[in-house]
Amino acid sequence: MRRVAASARTAVRTAWSGLRTSPVTSGVAVITIAVALLLVGAFALLVTNMERILDRFGEELRVSAYLAPGLAPEAQEALRARVADVPGVLSVALVTRDEALARFRESRVARAALLDGLEENPLPASLEVSLEPAERTREGLAALNDELADLPGIEELGYGHGWVEGYARALGVVRAAALALGLVLGLAALLIVANTIRLAVYARRDEIEILRLVGASRAFVAAPFVLEGLIQGLVGGLIALGLLALFHVALVPSLRGGMELLLGDVTPVFLAARGMLTLVLGGAALGALGSAAALVQGES
Amino acid sequence: MRPRDDDAAHPGAGALVRLFHVSKSYQAGSWALRDVSLELAKGEFAFLTGPSGAGKSTLMRLVFAAEQPSEGQILVLGRNVSRIRPSAIPALRRRVGVVFQDFKLLPRRTVEANVALALEVVGTPTRQVRSRVFTMLKRVGLQHRRYHHPLSLSGGEQQRLALARALVTEPEVLLADEPTGNLDPDLTLEIMDLIVDAAARGTAVFVATHDHALIERYGRRHLHLEDGRLVQDTPGRGHRP
Repeated sequence: MRRVAASARTAVRTAWSGLRTSPVTSGVAVITIAVALLLVGAFALLVTNMERILDRFGEELRVSAYLAPGLAPEAQEALRARVADVPGVLSVALVTRDEALARFRESRVARAALLDGLEENPLPASLEVSLEPAERTREGLAALNDELADLPGIEELGYGHGWVEGYARALGVVRAAALALGLVLGLAALLIVANTIRLAVYARRDEIEILRLVGASRAFVAAPFVLEGLIQGLVGGLIALGLLALFHVALVPSLRGGMELLLGDVTPVFLAARGMLTLVLGGAALGALGSAAALVQGES
Repeated sequence: MRPRDDDAAHPGAGALVRLFHVSKSYQAGSWALRDVSLELAKGEFAFLTGPSGAGKSTLMRLVFAAEQPSEGQILVLGRNVSRIRPSAIPALRRRVGVVFQDFKLLPRRTVEANVALALEVVGTPTRQVRSRVFTMLKRVGLQHRRYHHPLSLSGGEQQRLALARALVTEPEVLLADEPTGNLDPDLTLEIMDLIVDAAARGTAVFVATHDHALIERYGRRHLHLEDGRLVQDTPGRGHRP
């Protein structure tokens, strides 16, 4: 145990000394990691906000369950409560016949004159069902349809198939593109970082050779380099996060007007705590992995 | 095999280094070492001589497993170097001290840290490392230079530093390639005394040198290589200067 502690202390001391005595090489590695992570972070920020926009559209997605004529108000309320308990349902609003008529009259497509000749309100009462975000897919809607279709008191279900499919497709494309681009960016960042650290390791190949000649194990040789990579990655990640926050704070107000026009009341957000932590710890992991990869490559 | 050297500090102890018909070739048809067989016992001291390119450095590199023989077998501290797994090499090297001709010091570390390195690789506790390093630096006369960096030392000081790093772990085998090449006569004798002292404590020692006066003065076993062959193996005189 004492030997392990002594070796760990040596690794930390050596790593610190390595960083201190080669500030230029370490600086280049830190900047490279910061730039690579800034790109990944900017992309993550873009995807986060795009998903919010899609969620915003998703909130508009509602299923209308038209109720049978002559259903008593108590029965309508009971049906509303029952539908609210269906899995995947976020909320249910009861729209009475009078409310439906009032809405129709107010809507832009309404032709009030169409209703003038009728003696009684032809519009049925309905339940407007909102779905949980995860259920806003074609499959989610089909499942809801199955649940509601057989409920006594519901006469017809209505939702825009084309709209739902378009929404689901857009969501799928954005998520797949985000995943693919994220992977490519992550891989590019790993390669760039590994290459930068490889040069740093190469510059110290004599030191590695001497360590091996005096009987240092692979772990003893590798530990300080991996630790250095980890520290460089951590600092690079923090710098990337700082720059990203700076750009966000500086750019969002000037873009706000245009975005409001496009997105309504969707305000652009910064990465959540988990995202920030992932970026910084991802930087540390990138640095450590880059060092390890460089050492393995150096050995071969 | 040759008879046991009469100046072995521990007569009767088993050989720590054994070479059986060892050959080493770096390219087809050219032999750096050719059919060399020898033994070195615990506490035995042997000078290794020969012109440049005779195979002295190759022989040493084979003993500390920096190379593997093309033919033959090498046993070092009971390990067969010809078949050793790469993962087992560090453990073997920790028991073998080496003074390289080009010193192989770490320029970014202080004198103290260079010597400490050999102890750190075996996980020696920090407090022990400090005291053992200080004692060792005192023995080679470098204690006043312990916070300096190797490049600020003279050639002779660097050589003593390399020896300090090799001896601080009290190795079972010591390989020294021209350990007195840059030293003045007084320092040469001081350094040689340190090496002889290590042998007296049980370390098996190979010293490669061109200095025949040293061989004469110390009267130890003398191995002479030419064109990769061991052409002469003269036993020691059994006395110390």
